[in-house]
Amino acid sequence: MSPTPVYIICSPRPMVGKTLLARLLSEFLLLKDGIVSSFDINLKEPSLLEYLPRITETADVVDTFGKMQLMDRLIVHDGVAKVIDLGFHAFDEFFKMTHQIGFLKEAARRGVAPVVLFVADTDRVSARSYPTLQEYFPAKALITIDNEHVVRGELPTAMAAGQVLRISALPSFLKTYIDRVSFSFTDYLRNERDSSTELHQWIRRNYTSFRELELSLLPQQS
Amino acid sequence: MAKPVVIVVGADKGGVGKTTVSRTLLDYFSANNVPTRAFDTESPRGTLKRFHPDITEIVDMTTTSDQMKIFDTLNAASPSVTVIDVRAGLLSPALASLRDIGFLDAAKAGQITFSVFHILGPSIASLDEIAETANFMQGAKYYLVKNFINDTQFFQWDQATYNSYFHRIKDATELTIPKLNEMAYEQVEVSSVPFLKFVANKGKDDEAANYSFVLRGYVRHWLANVWSEFDRIKLTDLVGAGKPVSRGGEK
Repeated sequence: MSPTPVYIICSPRPMVGKTLLARLLSEFLLLKDGIVSSFDINLKEPSLLEYLPRITETADVVDTFGKMQLMDRLIVHDGVAKVIDLGFHAFDEFFKMTHQIGFLKEAARRGVAPVVLFVADTDRVSARSYPTLQEYFPAKALITIDNEHVVRGELPTAMAAGQVLRISALPSFLKTYIDRVSFSFTDYLRNERDSSTELHQWIRRNYTSFRELELSLLPQQS
Repeated sequence: MAKPVVIVVGADKGGVGKTTVSRTLLDYFSANNVPTRAFDTESPRGTLKRFHPDITEIVDMTTTSDQMKIFDTLNAASPSVTVIDVRAGLLSPALASLRDIGFLDAAKAGQITFSVFHILGPSIASLDEIAETANFMQGAKYYLVKNFINDTQFFQWDQATYNSYFHRIKDATELTIPKLNEMAYEQVEVSSVPFLKFVANKGKDDEAANYSFVLRGYVRHWLANVWSEFDRIKLTDLVGAGKPVSRGGEK
């Protein structure tokens, strides 16, 4: 059985596209596997729960009880991919806690594969946070998200050293369109007959990137 | 034959974490394969015995018969280390008793290795115990244990006060026990197992348990930090057990 992936979508900055990425990835995994568990750890940002209420539950890392509720679920090797939309308020506490409780070591022992999707930004807080993640996570499990809408082609060199997943910017009117709570990426792919539209291609490109990311994470076979 | 080692853990104040420190000591020696026995002076019902029933005996240190049970068996007992968890308020009287029966003289003469872990509370009264206890400490290793398990402070914010207590005794060694997450602490309490078994997700009889991974992680992290303090003071050297067992990646 392949390791159970746990995707941790994070940034110490607000409004960089974490929830958008969490939506995209959750819908991709739901389409591919038929099942996914998503966790919304946001206090003030747009909520994943509002977009995907059927597969999302809220969680927090404010107190120990919340941490237990979340982490005791994440550490289970049940073949169901997990997606965490980690709000910027919870960034420091979450990674401090995972480091303290030895999450990576236990995950490796149990066949769970944590993958950090770090949404890059050009500010100092992001620049300081990235090396901390590099210290905690192996290079293979730390992916930089180059969201064109945020970094505008100026991805910091330090964050470009490892694996980078690029998300191209959408025109404003399409951005507004996909920001509607009722919008579903997979439904759009299924229902839009014209596959040449910009949004169609954008969704397909991102789904393909996720597929490639998944493949790159699989243990190499001899 | 190795010298017998006696470690007294005590304080004159209650609720400062004497038994918690005793438990970490027993776990530390167990992990380092040092045969150990323990005496719990919380007669008739001991907390330490609840966590380490196999190696702990409840005694009443104020009675001669129980004093004999502890000290007359030091040379005969196969475990080389004896840990005594002294009940609150009994540290000074216990040390006085040890002096009276000639035990402290034997320690001074090098026949016995004797250590006192004095667990400190956050009050001036607790700090005043240091001077009182220090009178008995000739020939003994004296450890002043600052237990942060209750978010306690030790007057670090008032350097003059701090120095007047902590630097008063020349040969005392300071030891810091960090704070353990409250929920993790409570869960171990409820489970009534040694910290080591909790970390290993085992019940009283080594059966598989189902403790929270998060709480086990907190306990593992905390225990590693406590043990690194014991490594720092070379506790295994004190008991003649050589280098501590490697615990890579835990700290």
